[in-house]
Formats: sequence, structure tokens, C-alpha cells
Amino acid sequence: MNAPRATSLLCELTYRCNLQCPYCYNPLDLDSYRDELPTETWLRVVAEAAAMGILHIGLSGGEPTLRRDLPEIVAAASRAGLYTNLITQGTFLDDTRLDELLAAGLEHVQISIQAPTEALADQIAGTRVHANKELAIERVMRRNVALTLNCVLHRGNHDAIADVIAFAERHGIAKLELANVQFYGWAYRNRAALLPTRDQIDRALDVVAAARARLAGRMQIAYVLPDYFGDRPKACMNGWGRAFLTVTPDGRVLPCPAAAAIRTLHFERVQDRPLAEIWERSDAFVAYRGTAWMPEPCRSCDRREIDWGGCRCQAFLLTGDAGATDPVCTLSPEHERVIAALGVDGGAPLVPRRMKQPV
Amino acid sequence: MTATVVPRMSRGVRFRRDSDGSAMLLVPEGILRLNDSAAATLELVNGTRTLTAIVDALCARYAVTREDASRDVDDLIERLSRRGYVDR
Repeated sequence: MNAPRATSLLCELTYRCNLQCPYCYNPLDLDSYRDELPTETWLRVVAEAAAMGILHIGLSGGEPTLRRDLPEIVAAASRAGLYTNLITQGTFLDDTRLDELLAAGLEHVQISIQAPTEALADQIAGTRVHANKELAIERVMRRNVALTLNCVLHRGNHDAIADVIAFAERHGIAKLELANVQFYGWAYRNRAALLPTRDQIDRALDVVAAARARLAGRMQIAYVLPDYFGDRPKACMNGWGRAFLTVTPDGRVLPCPAAAAIRTLHFERVQDRPLAEIWERSDAFVAYRGTAWMPEPCRSCDRREIDWGGCRCQAFLLTGDAGATDPVCTLSPEHERVIAALGVDGGAPLVPRRMKQPV
Repeated sequence: MTATVVPRMSRGVRFRRDSDGSAMLLVPEGILRLNDSAAATLELVNGTRTLTAIVDALCARYAVTREDASRDVDDLIERLSRRGYVDR
């Protein structure tokens, strides 16, 4: 099929990060991404993205503010008319850096916290970061910049969501994203210890519903259910190769930020081929674009152009076949793999995210 | 909705019209495609026009009754405001 217009690009500028969150979706082999693209290549990627009609650019990582050239990349994107969104954990967002980024045209900041209180947050991050994050949030709010506060939820912090909402309220946050951990990269490795329980989720839904009613008109609260607890898969990336692409720190172009885990696909690099060609014609993007690749039960399903078969990375991680129906779908012949994961008691120790891959 | 209300785009929300005429809102989460009527309305939201002024401008430009235009504008602004994309 012909390639639709790509609209969103996620630039993962580096996988370096001073935090060690065990729920990170970055790949386990972080160390193999140390050879990062130079500034001029990122500037070319941004220019190519704008030329092919992309409208929205996310700057992420790892921790993107560890790249000294971030303001330069933001400025290039902004000049090209792209909407710029910085996805950061905030610990390096001091006054100088923030003002540089805003002067460069940055339009939106997303800061993540690990938990609403310092002790729990620092424990999850594996280092003392919470106080710095709170200062960064205050800096962004003082400058009247659009900010989304994000907290990734898992078994270890799920019961604190009322306090996360109170934290957001105290800081005058207008958009709060309570995003359940999705199981890719480090999070997949730590799945048994991170999966929330059904009870936690039921309680959370009540807390969120009450908070939404109380804060209507003041705070938007998004609560993203974990895939594993749904009946039907999410429309991952709005469909493979339909709107979204990611460039990794070393230049690989992925249809989804977690796709590097799919060992059966080869992902081409921006150093070797124009971004638009990779999007339109590379084997990895063509492989699962549209519906022709689908097996049953997707092929004849009336939701095939709603959820696009779900998530290819999840299918690969759970079944070994990236072309399988996403097993979170109750119609998948392999759905029992998800049920089995839900039945595992979370006693396993968490492996902290490190640049060196755990054995 | 009160006619003197002055709607404006929320922080981090930008209206954009492409060279092919298609219109959208660029928002933190991504892209919201707009139909012609929503685009015509949001193009007039500039932080100084009141709802009345927006309805006036739509009536002057398009073959639409004041009643219909007013209802559509109220409905759109209400929906976008609930999603955090427009302040009023």
C-alpha cells in the first residue's frame, strides 16, 4: 500500500540518563547506542521531517537535556514550523537551560515524576532527584509555559495516585498524565515486579473519577490503563507506519519507540537513506503497514482498522512473532500468555536501568 | 455561553492550516484534525474577539443563520475547553 503522511517524529537524542527507573521502555542494550548522531545529522533529520509533512516533534531519550545541542535542534524544528515537545525528567532544567530552550521556540514541556513524595520517588529513580524535579516544575510554571506532568504507574507507586494528583494540584498543573507502565525494554525485564494488581487499578479508577469531577475545568487527568488489563489491544502508534516514527540516538528509524526489540526486522539509518524513503519504502515500515499482513483473527475482525492488530512489539515480546495478533486481545490464540503474566506474584527483585546490560 | 466571553487557545495549543487547505490543532499529545466549520471558527479565535464577534464574522463570511452559527461555536468551544485546548 502507499505510505500515508507521517505527522509525528520522536527524536531519541541520547539514551544516557542519570536515573535508573526500572520501568524504562528504552532497550536493554543501552551501551550499544553510545555512538550518537552528531548535531548536523539531527538538524538534517529535522529539515527532512518538515519537508515530508511532519508537524509534531518530540525530543526525548534517555534524558534529552544531556545533549548540549538541544537548543539548536529545538530552534531548527521551530523555524521549520514544527510543534516542539520536550519530554524530560527535569533534573537538569535549570533557569539558564530552560530559558535557552524557550528562546529557541520550545512549545511544550513534559516532566515526569516517579512518585509524589521524595523518599519513594528517589527510591524508584535509584538516586536523589525528586527535589530537583520539583524546582524544575516550579520554573516552568513561573514562565507560564505549557506543561504536562507525567507519572508512570506500577505496583510500587499505584496506591499513591491520590497524592500524585494532590502534588499536581499544589503546583497548578493543568495536564496530568497517569500512565500505567507498558512492558517494553527494561519494563518488560521487570514485568513481574511492576505489574499492578487488579485491585490497585480498580481503586485508581475510583480515585481518578472523583478527582476529575472535583477538578473539572482546572486539571485534565489522563489515566492510561495497562494493556494487559484490557480486552482489546490499543491502536499502537495509530497503526504501524501510519503516522509516527522514531529516530534512535544512533540513527535507526523505528515505527515505534520499542521496535528495536524486534530482532526479525532490520531498521535502516538516517545516515544511509533519506528519512522520507525509509518511511515510504523500507522493509521494516512496509512489513506491518495497513492490513494485508494480518493473520486471523485480525484479518476478518471489524476492528482491524481501529486497533490495527495492536502492538507489533508486544506481539514479538510475548509470542516471538511480530506478525501475530497482539496477545492482549482476548481473541488472540496466545492470550493465555497475558493471563499467565497477570497470575505471577510480584516478588521478583527490580533490575535498575543501567548503561551496561544485566546478565 | 455568555456572548462577551473571549476564548483563546490554551498554552501549548496552536492552530495550523497547511498549504493544501487542511486545518488542525497542534497540541501536546499530537494532532487534532479539524473539519471546515471548526477550522473557520478557530481561525477567528485570537484572544481578543468575543464569542459574539466570532459569530458575527462567521455570518458575514458564510451562508449560515445566526442561530446555527451561535450554537455551533458554543458547542465547539465547550468541547475544546473541556479537553483543555481552549481557555475562556
